[in-house]
Amino acid sequence: MSDTTASSATPNRLNRIADWGIYALFIAVVLGLPMLMDDVFWLNRIAKYLVYGMLGIAIALSWGYAGILNLGQGLFFGLGAYMTAMSLKLMSSTSLQQGSDKPVPDFMLWNAEPGAMTDLCCINKGSFLWIPFQHQWFGLAMAIVLPLIVAFILSSSIFRLRVSGVYVAIITLALVLLVRLLIIDAQPVTNGFNGLTDLGWLTIGGFEFDPYMVQTYYVVAGSLCLVLLLARWLVSTRAGLILQSTRDDPTRARYLGYDVAAFQVFFFTVSAGIAGFAGMLYVVAAEFASPSFMDITFSISMVVWAAVGGRNSLIGACLGAILINTIEATVSETEVFKEAWKLIIGLIFVLVVLYMPRGLAGLARDLTGWLGQRRRGADPMPKAAE
Amino acid sequence: MSDIIFIGLSLSSILLLIALGLSITYGAMGVINMAHGELVMIGAYTAVLAGLHLNLNLFFALPLAFVTSGLAGLVIERLVIRRLYGRIIDTLLATWGVAILLQQLVRLEFGLSFLGIHVEGLGPGLQNMTVPGFLTQPFDIAGITIQPYRSFIIVVTLALTALTWWLMYRTPTGVQVRAIMRNPQIAAACGIDVRRVSALTFAYGSGLAGVAGVLLAGFKTVMPEMGAAVVIDGFLVVVVGGVGSLLGTLLSAAVLGQINGVFAILTNDILARAVVFGVVIALILWRPRGLFSFKSR
Repeated sequence: MSDTTASSATPNRLNRIADWGIYALFIAVVLGLPMLMDDVFWLNRIAKYLVYGMLGIAIALSWGYAGILNLGQGLFFGLGAYMTAMSLKLMSSTSLQQGSDKPVPDFMLWNAEPGAMTDLCCINKGSFLWIPFQHQWFGLAMAIVLPLIVAFILSSSIFRLRVSGVYVAIITLALVLLVRLLIIDAQPVTNGFNGLTDLGWLTIGGFEFDPYMVQTYYVVAGSLCLVLLLARWLVSTRAGLILQSTRDDPTRARYLGYDVAAFQVFFFTVSAGIAGFAGMLYVVAAEFASPSFMDITFSISMVVWAAVGGRNSLIGACLGAILINTIEATVSETEVFKEAWKLIIGLIFVLVVLYMPRGLAGLARDLTGWLGQRRRGADPMPKAAE
Repeated sequence: MSDIIFIGLSLSSILLLIALGLSITYGAMGVINMAHGELVMIGAYTAVLAGLHLNLNLFFALPLAFVTSGLAGLVIERLVIRRLYGRIIDTLLATWGVAILLQQLVRLEFGLSFLGIHVEGLGPGLQNMTVPGFLTQPFDIAGITIQPYRSFIIVVTLALTALTWWLMYRTPTGVQVRAIMRNPQIAAACGIDVRRVSALTFAYGSGLAGVAGVLLAGFKTVMPEMGAAVVIDGFLVVVVGGVGSLLGTLLSAAVLGQINGVFAILTNDILARAVVFGVVIALILWRPRGLFSFKSR
């Protein structure tokens, strides 16, 4: 990407300015949106799309920077969502229907065997797993820790065995389907197909975050900006650069003495942690968790958003996810457009892959490159190396 | 005991049916065709429409669906896949778009529903194909109850596998296809028209998907989303069997189908599928290139 020849100093600087400009603009718009829009329903919707944007970042990190296509990112999103939802479920008023002060999820009561003790310890065989989730912070912490653990174990075995390319995609895909089935099958503990609904609100220091409230939007938007900057910093560190070299030529990186698998495991795990965090925020904004988060359609959709936005660009992938979903929500207001939109989106995916493999971000980079050349005027310079 | 084996066999045959087309397009050509499920769906709709409008039964629908899905595959190859050979992940994404497109075309009756025209047998609703009566009556042979339609599927699948094997290993075109599998550049240098052969191969794999669709329509509801559910299973079978190995695909379909059948009886359908996914993951970790494979590309 970068050019070492002296003649390209100007476009490089221009690129860097444009880059930071876009980040600053993005953060300003995302954080400033509530001032322009006071419709809380739309703010809540957009908060959800910002969460998808965070998923875009997770995908760009693992796919664009590490070269690992994870078709099972929904697994980590889903785990994060379920962990959060379990805690919020116990805080919901629907879990205190028995008049006791010990919360028990309502679906467990409905399905309880007659005479079973209505306590989390023993209402059914798996219900004890819920006990620690009575503390909200346990659920929130697990929403990130569990994806990290699962991703670490998974990626360690994958990359130590030097499984690569499309096989990683297939393993992650099979795994997300596997876990989805397990969650559906563990109906007494997870409420199966129906997922966890009627959740309580996230409460921090006595303040309840109603999803339809500006404060909740700020929690999501602030988290997104934080994750974006963090990811951006991470890929510019030495480790991030080595990671990119392992993507471009793993064999060479290995011969240069780098432990390729270690870098891949680290970034795969970070990406999973981001997805888990996104799952947590999604539950806070959308008030449910369901096995549909682990549908294969959802995981592939994330990848497609990232592809449209630009798989090699963190902010591109993030914007791709936000834009596609916002447009979809806007056109879905009318029934005819809704159906036609799906047709259009299918077409867009095909065209982007065929003609714009670097996505919107690639387009933007070409544009700044072209502007840089124009500013240099008559001075003919070699085309910026890609 | 024979019941369990039969259930497993029947599951295996369906897996094989879907995987057979994929073992050609993915195995031989390195294209992850996510629209394969939609080609299956097109086959199923061909059967439904042929029954409704042309009064043709299952046996006529089979070749017809082979042709329609094959043609659809040919068009997809020309417009999309031809530009993406060698970019395996991109084929996955682009054909995912194609899959959405095809689903939506059927749901919108090829856009006619915008004009207020409705075609019976298309649209977002559920459709059914009627199976000829003599294939639906179970009968007994030596104390074992035989499900004729399931047996019919097994027979057709095995026949198609044999046909595919014959095409690949006993005809001049098959030799060309296998040459392209191993090394497209050298194949081209030897005078093989790589583009033409690739297009034909893809169309053949797509045609097999169409046949699978007709057979699936006999015991599953036909709807625009039906393809998405089956395509993943097909991929897992092909990958476990070994890319480019017809024998591997056959064996892995048999093994995975039996595992699914046995665990479905021991536990339930959901856990049985989970076990199959678990086995698939373990097998890929153990042998990423599949049970039977050769070095290529």
